Amino acid sequence: MNLNPVIGRELTERLRGFRAYLAVTVFVLALAVTMFLVFEASEGSASNFDLSARTGVGRLVFESVILIMTVLVLFFVPGLTAGAIAGERERQTLATLQVTLLRPRSIIAGKVVAALAYLLLLVVAALPVLAVSYLLGGIRLGDIALGVLSVATVAVLLATMVVAVSTFATRVQTATLLAYGFTAVLTVIGPLVWGIAAVLDQRSSETVAPPAWLLTINPLALVADLGTGNRSGGDGPLTWIRQYLGEAKARNGGSWWAWFPEPVNWSRVDAASLAGRPLGGGPAAWVLSAISLSIVAAALSLLAVRRLRAPAETER
Amino acid sequence: MTTEAIERADSTPERDPRPEASAGTSWAVEATALSKQYGTLQAVDELELRVPVGSIFGLIGPNGAGKSTTFSMLATLLRPTTGSLSVLGHDPTSEPREVRKRLGYMPDVLGVYDNLRVDEYLQFFAASYHVPRKQWPGLVGGLLELVDLDVKASALVNSLSRGMKQRLSLARTLVHDPDLLVLDEPASGLDPRARVELRETLRHLNALGKTIIVSSHILAELEEMCTAVAIMEAGKLLASGTPRQILDQLGAARTVVVRFADGSSETFPVADDAEQVALLRRLAADEARPLLELREEHRGLEHVFLSITQGIVQ
Repeated sequence: MNLNPVIGRELTERLRGFRAYLAVTVFVLALAVTMFLVFEASEGSASNFDLSARTGVGRLVFESVILIMTVLVLFFVPGLTAGAIAGERERQTLATLQVTLLRPRSIIAGKVVAALAYLLLLVVAALPVLAVSYLLGGIRLGDIALGVLSVATVAVLLATMVVAVSTFATRVQTATLLAYGFTAVLTVIGPLVWGIAAVLDQRSSETVAPPAWLLTINPLALVADLGTGNRSGGDGPLTWIRQYLGEAKARNGGSWWAWFPEPVNWSRVDAASLAGRPLGGGPAAWVLSAISLSIVAAALSLLAVRRLRAPAETER
Repeated sequence: MTTEAIERADSTPERDPRPEASAGTSWAVEATALSKQYGTLQAVDELELRVPVGSIFGLIGPNGAGKSTTFSMLATLLRPTTGSLSVLGHDPTSEPREVRKRLGYMPDVLGVYDNLRVDEYLQFFAASYHVPRKQWPGLVGGLLELVDLDVKASALVNSLSRGMKQRLSLARTLVHDPDLLVLDEPASGLDPRARVELRETLRHLNALGKTIIVSSHILAELEEMCTAVAIMEAGKLLASGTPRQILDQLGAARTVVVRFADGSSETFPVADDAEQVALLRRLAADEARPLLELREEHRGLEHVFLSITQGIVQ
């Protein structure tokens, strides 16, 4: 079976420029700086003879690096993939591509896979930084694997969505703005709607109970839950995000789906008991997050394939 | 003059703008009442087009005539609004892949992948047309030799001149050995030498059995190269056939310029060979005005084009 030629062409063009290598350097440097700063900030709180505190430092550094890696992916992916189809239009090469025997789904899939191959390069380049947190203790290799897997999942889904968004723009500049706007909306829309619902649900000054699943429509929720699922002690920013998810679910009657149930007696909910445990019954938060993001990615991809199909009513 | 020519054309009884079909002619392209509308703009209006297999067919028209829109419909990029279209026996709307296997398309805008090497560029399109990988080395080498870019095989595309990129684009259209080439302004931006070389290349490809449809604003080149032409304006087909056929249809086939021994000269319009022979006999018989020189004034494609178009830009 022949490899999709779009993948080879995209990677060849991308790796011929200096920007690809500059991006890898910036990515790894940002993670290394994060690790250094977090380590320095936590160093004073951990005595050399307190092993528990020392492993907590390792966990804190690990989660901080994974969180920053996720944030960097949310910045890099739109920049890398926004021009996927819009760039073909701007270079006026799209027509010559559409009259070949490549199907629209092959063109889009080729663009996504090529972008992911490059993102994989970034992730692999970041592994030495993650390895340092492993050496600090408090982290198992499985934690690193899950952390990397969660970031890779976000990268796959986001790249698919942004390549699809690119088909709706005629210029790279427009596509880039659309892509960053879309990523920003995707990151905040769930928590924003949840927050608005919470404000509207003013039945009690202490408890609000909007549907908790709204908070899972968010790449950070996926990383926080999957990346901390195999906890071995200590906490960090991902654990704090996960705890917040757990609290929201607890307030929602212990369900992801309950529609503004009666307020929960908050004193009976022990937020600390949520740490390190599955967030109650029902699917895991990362499963809901992956499903919701996958539905968005699939819907956008279908629309993108339709948009690229030729012959069309107007020239695309 | 132009209005008169058009009025003469419109009043000519039963003037069929389509080329005449001889017995056994098969058509590479058949368009019947082909139309394309964008909102209120009628880009192509009831186009009747027949392109014989094995011909070099020129499509001429001012900017906005509908040439590129017609080419886009042939190349399976645009869906016609009404009418029917057949390309090599297949409908581009319902059987686009069958058409794409047999058609090579060169749009009027020159878009290439700058960061690829020349050979990589052709290999990419060979792969996109599912040409077996083992054929690539010979195919790419042969195509680069055909378009005189073999010395540039390892060069990056962005290092090529415009003319070289145009030739590379022509090579790209040939990568899957199509039967029909649709070339939208292939000579655009080329210097005179490059245009001559392109013309020779297209003749060579035609001699290999390929049907070629080409549009151009350089009418002299089309006249030299094309076996038939079609003239469009404002989305409509105004005339089709050889330049001589079109001139005959307009009733302004040719003129004969005569110079007499007394130094005077006259111009005589003639409709056909019989009329020209009769004129020459009459002039030769007139001993009072001996002939010194006879010359048939060539009324070419440019004259035809200017005669029947109004310069309407949509």
